[in-house]
Amino acid sequence: MTRMRMAIALAAMAAAAAGGCAPVAPYQRGYLARPDMALEESAGTAKALEKTFAAKEAASGGGSVGGGGCGCN
Amino acid sequence: MRALAAFLLFALPGAAAAVEPGKPMPSVSAPQLEAPSAPLALGSFRGSVVYVDFWASWCVPCRISMPALEGMYRKYRGLGLRVVGVNKDVARADAERFLKRVGVSFPLVADGDDAVARAFDVQAMPSGYLVDRRGIVRYVHRGFTDETASALAAEIELLLKEGA
Repeated sequence: MTRMRMAIALAAMAAAAAGGCAPVAPYQRGYLARPDMALEESAGTAKALEKTFAAKEAASGGGSVGGGGCGCN
Repeated sequence: MRALAAFLLFALPGAAAAVEPGKPMPSVSAPQLEAPSAPLALGSFRGSVVYVDFWASWCVPCRISMPALEGMYRKYRGLGLRVVGVNKDVARADAERFLKRVGVSFPLVADGDDAVARAFDVQAMPSGYLVDRRGIVRYVHRGFTDETASALAAEIELLLKEGA
């Protein structure tokens, strides 16, 4: 009986979780390519800020950029 | 219970049957990009070799595929090749900007409600379906490189030689 209840609970949770999913078909990726879907508003500004931050913090490479932390690359 | 969990995990994303070689071309129609009031029915090309290409301005390999398809269309049009470009842009202006750079002369249709893409169950962008004169899909190309272009040209020549 407990197993049955757990199964029902699991099914309900899975159904609830799946309700929030929105699969994007390959042909719908135009929605992801919209400018307002970008992680950064301006790629150039984001890069400049990241470089400044890395140089200030001696943390070059932290933002997935290669380098030794000298802020010179 | 583990089986139920696995079932729920994998069964939920509903998988429609993708159009593969050997299957008939879905008979769908869609409004033309330039003239939305005039729908273009894919079934009307029966008797010709048809290449149905799904493209979009945001699709990087489409910058190679569209000029290549235009070249093939010009070369084989007289022998009975028809090319239909199904546009998958969200905004029509994006498609028009792309077409200003890469002009094509074959018919283009819009697919705003995804009806055509769903009928073919498109798995990648770009996707191209080469259909023979009897309306059967014979070759499917997902993605596009220079190798695809040369393979496609050979396939088109092969199908053009076949009778209806």
